[in-house]
Amino acid sequence: MKIAGNDILIQSLINEGVEYIFGYPGGAALHIYDSIFNQKEMQHILVRHEQGATHAADGYARATGKPGVVLVTSGPGATNAITGIATAFMDSIPMVVISGQVQSHLIGTDAFQETDMIGVSRPIVKHSFTVDKQENIAQIVKEAFHIATSGRQGPVVIDVPKDLTNPDELFDFNYPEKANIRSYNPPVKPENHQVSRAVDAILNAERPVIYAGGGTISSNASDELRELNELIDFPVTNTLMGLGVYPGTGKRFLGMLGMHGTYQANMAMHNADLIIAVGARFDDRITNTPEKFAPKAKVIHFDVDHSSVSKIIEADIAVFGQVKDSLKAINNHLRSRKDEINKEKLSPWHQQIREWKEKHGLDHELYKNDSDEHAILPQAAVQHIYQESEGKAFVTSDVGQHQMFAAQYYHFDEPRKWINSGGLGTMGFGLPSAMGVKLAYPEEEVICITGEGSIQMCIQELSTCSQYKLPIKIFNINNLALGMVKQWQDMNYDGRHSSISYEDSLPDFVGLAESYGHVGIKITKNSELKEGIAKAFAIKDKLVFVDIYVDPNEHVYPMLVAPNGSLKDMWLGKGEKT
Amino acid sequence: MIQRKLTLVMENKPGALARVVGLFHQRGYNIDSLHVDPIEDFEPFRFIEDELGIKFQVGEVSRLTIRTTVGDKLMRQILRQINKLIEVIAVSDDESTYLKGILRNENLL
Ligand SMILES: Cc1ncc(C[n+]2csc(CCOP(=O)(O)OP(=O)(O)O)c2C)c(N)n1
Ligand SMILES: [Mg+2]
Repeated sequence: MKIAGNDILIQSLINEGVEYIFGYPGGAALHIYDSIFNQKEMQHILVRHEQGATHAADGYARATGKPGVVLVTSGPGATNAITGIATAFMDSIPMVVISGQVQSHLIGTDAFQETDMIGVSRPIVKHSFTVDKQENIAQIVKEAFHIATSGRQGPVVIDVPKDLTNPDELFDFNYPEKANIRSYNPPVKPENHQVSRAVDAILNAERPVIYAGGGTISSNASDELRELNELIDFPVTNTLMGLGVYPGTGKRFLGMLGMHGTYQANMAMHNADLIIAVGARFDDRITNTPEKFAPKAKVIHFDVDHSSVSKIIEADIAVFGQVKDSLKAINNHLRSRKDEINKEKLSPWHQQIREWKEKHGLDHELYKNDSDEHAILPQAAVQHIYQESEGKAFVTSDVGQHQMFAAQYYHFDEPRKWINSGGLGTMGFGLPSAMGVKLAYPEEEVICITGEGSIQMCIQELSTCSQYKLPIKIFNINNLALGMVKQWQDMNYDGRHSSISYEDSLPDFVGLAESYGHVGIKITKNSELKEGIAKAFAIKDKLVFVDIYVDPNEHVYPMLVAPNGSLKDMWLGKGEKT
Repeated sequence: MIQRKLTLVMENKPGALARVVGLFHQRGYNIDSLHVDPIEDFEPFRFIEDELGIKFQVGEVSRLTIRTTVGDKLMRQILRQINKLIEVIAVSDDESTYLKGILRNENLL
């Protein structure tokens, strides 16, 4: 059968098993939209801004592990998608973005809505393709999905000139079984001698820490990590991107590490004699000053990406390959040397960690204070959300203090439940990503914990939620300011609050939500908190926007002392340092 | 810091060169000089063909030579970053070669 370029493109996506495509139409994409109209296998979700489309696809990908798919038009449609592509790139999220382009013969003429999308997106994609002829569309789509989902995952752009989707020119269509890219060969199996060196180091450690990041989640290696921990009983910390890969309520869990990590996690890393980095990349929010990072530790690094290893912190032992395969190999090897495992040896270390935790650990019982003498603490709001959702929800977040409080006080027992922009730190991510998650898992509770600053960056998507009936729960931790910026100004600029307040211009969020057909709830006092949040969760069929007014003067602690600090140098409260 | 020579064998596709050049800028490395030619004599590259089980056709692949002045650690990063570019088949410096993802401890190019 012969079909046109637009249909080849859409049929290829259907062949890839795409269920949702997030997008926004425009001139250069009109032929493609016509193909979407003529099929039923895949649903198009019309967002309100292309940034929303990329974040929604990204949320879908993070929650399911399947690639998110986006369709935008040329020029402004393409440039609006850039922030979302960069967000996915920084967190290695599989995504395929199809951008319309002006007709081939107009390229380079500054035609209407022409932007060099390949050029603009080059530094923030894993790879990109320009479609050169209709006969290649199917092969390009196959390769794009292969690249996006293999090795270290990431976003791939396919730029499609409009004439190549012309419905009047017909071609043979056979979707290829395999993508054979001769120059691309993502690493496969870990090397045996590295595995056995790693096992030697594990067996010899006295003060070990497992430091697991987002790569462990991408590689679906949570079970293997938990198995490893069963075998050796090491303390585990997770990065912001790794939360949930080891149970947040697990016995050996130290909490998150890094900039706003727990005291015990940062202290354990600093004093460790062995750090096992699993799918983590030692970014500056983790290491603080690299020269002062974990001075006594030997480092084993598991990663699929050669360029992540010894980039910031020199690895003593590097195990390349899919983290899942590497951990399997380690576990097998350890099982064969089971009699050499000595868990007893670790008890002084576990004892030391318990002491750190007792001394300066986070207080997870702030929610018990329901007195109205004090304003609502944002931490307590998150704790209530955790209680009322029984710790089982998918939680998306934005960027700022509310994000850190969510990461610190919502315990994730499963991977892929905590969805946030860790690498790029993109305000505006929370609401659209929650849409993607809710579409993927309509029966599950999906929560967005946001701030009044961040939510306004993609607030237009409230309309999309209304169109597709997406009953997510939005908790707006409203501190009347760009709180995280304000915190830095308090700490580093003698409290000079430059441009962090909206003065009296904030909308009435309850009224705003209601105007889109949603439910709004406003909470201003501790005594209303538990009940208000419970009420939100009792509403199953509607989006609920809960606007929670919290103490505007709270800071996030602990916080690493910078510049020149190590991981043991932390602010523990206002004016209180380790 | 010393000047080093990098050799790449890569697919001769539109935009491929821009990815290499762009990478240097994005990552804050500097290019002292750059030279690019389509490969016509495949004799020195037969081992790549054998290794990857492919046959190069005239006009399909290019050889790039880049000179850059950097320290050891950064050199290793550059090699690893270039190796990640999808269209790069092989890249080497004086001591090592990445042949599509796999590291060898000698300059094969
Ligand atoms: C798109 C974007 N612009 C600017 C920033 C810098 N930034 C980081 S946190 C923050 C404040 C966020 O305010 P809000 O959403 O109210 O969260 P809060 O810190 O008050 O909880 C800003 C401006 C960012 N991360 N993303
Ligand atoms: Mg705020």
